[in-house]
Amino acid sequence: MELLFIIASFIGTALIIILIKNRLVIELLSIGASFVAFISSVFIALKVSVFGIYTPLVFLSVDSLGSIIMLIIGLICLATTIYSVEYLRQETSKNIIGFTRVKQYFILLNLFLMSMFLAASANNPIFAWIFIEATTLSTAFLISFYNKPSSLEAAWKYLIINSIGLLLGFLGTLLYFTTTTNLGGNDFVSWQFLQDNAHNFDPMVAKIAFIFVLIGYGTKVGLVPMHTWKPDAYSKAPAPIGALLSGALLPVAFAVILKLKVITDIAVGPLFSHNLLIFFGVLSIAVAALIMFNAKNYKRLLAYSSIENAGVMAFGFGLGGLGVFAATLHMIYHSFVKVVLFLSSGNLLLRYNSDKIKNVKGALSVVPVTSVLFISGFLIVTGTPPFGIFLTKMQILSVGINTHPVASIIALFFMAIVFIGFLKHVTSMFFEEKQVDIEISDKHIWLIIPPLIFLVLVFGLSFYIPPFLYTLISDVAVKY
Amino acid sequence: MNILFLKFLFGVMFLTLVFLHLTKKNFLATVAYSIQSLVITIVLFNSFLETNNFYLLLVVFLSLVIKVIIAPIFFTNLIKKHALAFSVSTYFSTPLILIIISILTFIAYSDKFLPLTSIIPNNQALLSIALSVIFMSLFLIINRKGALSQIIGILSLENSILAFIIFAGLEQSPGLQIGVIFNMFIWIIIASVFISMIYKHFGTLNVTSMKNLKD
Repeated sequence: MELLFIIASFIGTALIIILIKNRLVIELLSIGASFVAFISSVFIALKVSVFGIYTPLVFLSVDSLGSIIMLIIGLICLATTIYSVEYLRQETSKNIIGFTRVKQYFILLNLFLMSMFLAASANNPIFAWIFIEATTLSTAFLISFYNKPSSLEAAWKYLIINSIGLLLGFLGTLLYFTTTTNLGGNDFVSWQFLQDNAHNFDPMVAKIAFIFVLIGYGTKVGLVPMHTWKPDAYSKAPAPIGALLSGALLPVAFAVILKLKVITDIAVGPLFSHNLLIFFGVLSIAVAALIMFNAKNYKRLLAYSSIENAGVMAFGFGLGGLGVFAATLHMIYHSFVKVVLFLSSGNLLLRYNSDKIKNVKGALSVVPVTSVLFISGFLIVTGTPPFGIFLTKMQILSVGINTHPVASIIALFFMAIVFIGFLKHVTSMFFEEKQVDIEISDKHIWLIIPPLIFLVLVFGLSFYIPPFLYTLISDVAVKY
Repeated sequence: MNILFLKFLFGVMFLTLVFLHLTKKNFLATVAYSIQSLVITIVLFNSFLETNNFYLLLVVFLSLVIKVIIAPIFFTNLIKKHALAFSVSTYFSTPLILIIISILTFIAYSDKFLPLTSIIPNNQALLSIALSVIFMSLFLIINRKGALSQIIGILSLENSILAFIIFAGLEQSPGLQIGVIFNMFIWIIIASVFISMIYKHFGTLNVTSMKNLKD
């Protein structure tokens, strides 16, 4: 029932927005739909923590991993929708966009959110693929939102690279159905059914299938070397869309890899998928760290940080056992802190009218609250103690040092490089002398509250994990 | 349907891909894609004849309308609207393209991919062709500098994956197939809109002229 509420509220809102011309109504409806989604996702998570699974319809089913991801999407969608209202108002007042753009934005935003919820709750791999592809289609125009040559180029790159990746993922996913060919083509094949029949899977086909899946969905996750679209798309999209791409869409795509990984592990043993995940994870951490050091654009810096953290998650999931627990918790922390960082980067962009690091000086005195948010986000995301990401990174490394010492030391080295690189840019942006001609202002409360809430949330979760969430994460660690 | 006829159809599909690599005219590339889609539609119709599933007939109808008729019309209109008679050049020269195509075909037939091509041993020849067409489609996307050619490359990749899954016995339920076709339809519309936008902003469909993301 809750899932149907979510779908109905997003579809209904998108359709009504097409018909109406009142901006306030559009904004209120969008916030309302996100609120419904947020409340519903909380109820779903609570139900899954008690019953283990939530299956409202045969083709929709949510397990512990799915419910965590839905909770992440629900929280982020509410925050980003509220933020979007004020953010777009500011851009309208600066004549950057007009009403038609705002209308398009909210229609696409609602479709994007709905696609993510459906992808996270799909009970069939092809159904999940359809909705992950739908996220690409709904976000392409959000990335080219400002209709500039650079944003168009970023959107084109995003569309082409993700489409190729997802088609390869599609091929890989379909290969998992070789275990069910005796069923004919008309039966609905659930994740669980594939898992139950995984012992029939030809090991060689399973290996090839997982490689296709890792390349395909890994493109959406942004694992190196399939990451090339990410810095461009994140830097050109409006700040709230960047937060959603990094905080919500990344876990959705990761979940599909993990679900298919479980089936692969049954067919060929866990070593194959684990080694691949560790390889791509460490590679992503290393490449992102080196590029971050010389970043010139603070939104691209955040994109590379997402690539690094996707690498940390892949590394954790590749280690198995306690690594999976830490990687799942890392996924939650990363999603929440990326909201803080992307939304505060949006505030910086509004104030400085530039996303270049060299053009942002003395931000701490110009936008003090935003600066505190961004600096706190930087400390959290780079794994500074005592925040949660420090604990998850240490937990992953402590598991890794026993089983994969070389990979763990390489990962640790590049995590330190990430911190140094990020610190260099933060120092330059926030602590240097401010430009004389810039107005000191941090006055728009609705540009502050959403990232502030997430900062409090990630800070709180660093020290206390609610029992229902702990149950869900523990279940993920057992199943994945 | 006769296995020889199916082999003939797959031969046609293979040749359309070779032609897509060699042609310099956008209109001819569009025609080649249309022929390729027609081949897939006929193969899907064969599935309907074998199963007598009415919903598969709907899939056949949608495939025919969207991929054989609407998509080529979209592309032809784009070509006329922006006077895009000739496609943008390739990264590799023609002799090198032919050599790479040969190598890709050889790889598809090699022992490395035997686990994939022998999913249904009776269809090994067809699956090998389908796999080589998948590789060639990927190479087409990488090798072409034109936005329209890249789109046709992606649609060819989708066609070749469909061909592979049909002969590997991995066809999904008609509902899911309709979902996939609907997705591709939306994709075609969005990609066509992007082509118009690229032409408007850059005055060309050459993707190498897009150099605004250096920072």
